Amino acid sequence: MKARYFIGGIIIVLFLGLLFYNFTRTNIEYESDFSKVMQSGKVCKATGVWVKEKSFEEDIKNRTFVFYLRDAKNNQMKVIYRGTKPNNFEIATNVVVTGKFEDGVFHATDVLTKCPSKYEGQNINTSGS
Amino acid sequence: MKKIYYIFYKDFSSELRMRFAINALIMFVIVAVSTILFSLGSENAPQNVYAGMFWVVVFFSAMSGLSRTFVSEEERGTSLILSLIANPISIFLGKFLFNLVLIFFINSIITMLYMFLFQEFLIKNWMSFLLAFLLGNFGIAASSTIIAAIISKANVKGTLYPVLAFPVLLPLILMLIEITKSAMEGNPINDVEAEFLVLVSYDVIMITASILVFDIIWRD
Repeated sequence: MKARYFIGGIIIVLFLGLLFYNFTRTNIEYESDFSKVMQSGKVCKATGVWVKEKSFEEDIKNRTFVFYLRDAKNNQMKVIYRGTKPNNFEIATNVVVTGKFEDGVFHATDVLTKCPSKYEGQNINTSGS
Repeated sequence: MKKIYYIFYKDFSSELRMRFAINALIMFVIVAVSTILFSLGSENAPQNVYAGMFWVVVFFSAMSGLSRTFVSEEERGTSLILSLIANPISIFLGKFLFNLVLIFFINSIITMLYMFLFQEFLIKNWMSFLLAFLLGNFGIAASSTIIAAIISKANVKGTLYPVLAFPVLLPLILMLIEITKSAMEGNPINDVEAEFLVLVSYDVIMITASILVFDIIWRD
């Protein structure tokens, strides 16, 4: 009788651990190579740099925000985000978009901007005045 | 082992005679699916909405049909005799087997209705959908059997069941919706590996915990 509870308890605890481990695991992966993003067609988080030369378009009526991203190998892709332009978009050093590549454009559901840190890159000479 | 089969057979034949659960389930499924059909009209909802609605219908049909297993014993006053002739574990497994057959039957009907009525409900990866279907039914049957045993002793049987079952079944339903979505998009089975592992561990936990606590509930 006691042994039964013991074995049962061990089984429950083991599988509970497995359950929570897998429950918290996400399938969305970071991808910094756009050629892979374009091929796979899966939901992923693509990281890149905003192409400033091509600027961005904002359509307030349809609430879409269109811009271009460039990765380290200089691959460019068009990103369509349904929503308004995130704050600090112009000064962002890095942009992370979550979404799926479809029909030649990346449909983003989420845009994260990485802002330059204010604790680096300051010129010592100018700070004196 | 023999006793498990006998209890299953007793439930099965009494169900065939009375058809309480089966009729309630089929009526529920027809009402739910036709309500969805009429409310959608000729509009096409996105695919993930269908995946969600499919498991919503499955969840509530399980709510309405599977709770009867132990309640009917209490109503007919046969639970005392049942506990005299068989040990708790075989009672539980027999009832579980009956619920499993019932839910497989009703879920196959729901799947066929969905495929027949909604063009958008198109499953591209059958392998992953069928595996989720199998594990999901197993989990639903296991947790609803033990919850039915708990509520059969209570005074308000009807309302207590969904209240108790919802938090227990929620992780299962979430994972099943996720897998169904991916199966409808035609993604390979590896994409939802984590969800499948959650399903398997959920099933094992439910069955072990049920067997451990059932004789305490039953003797009460």
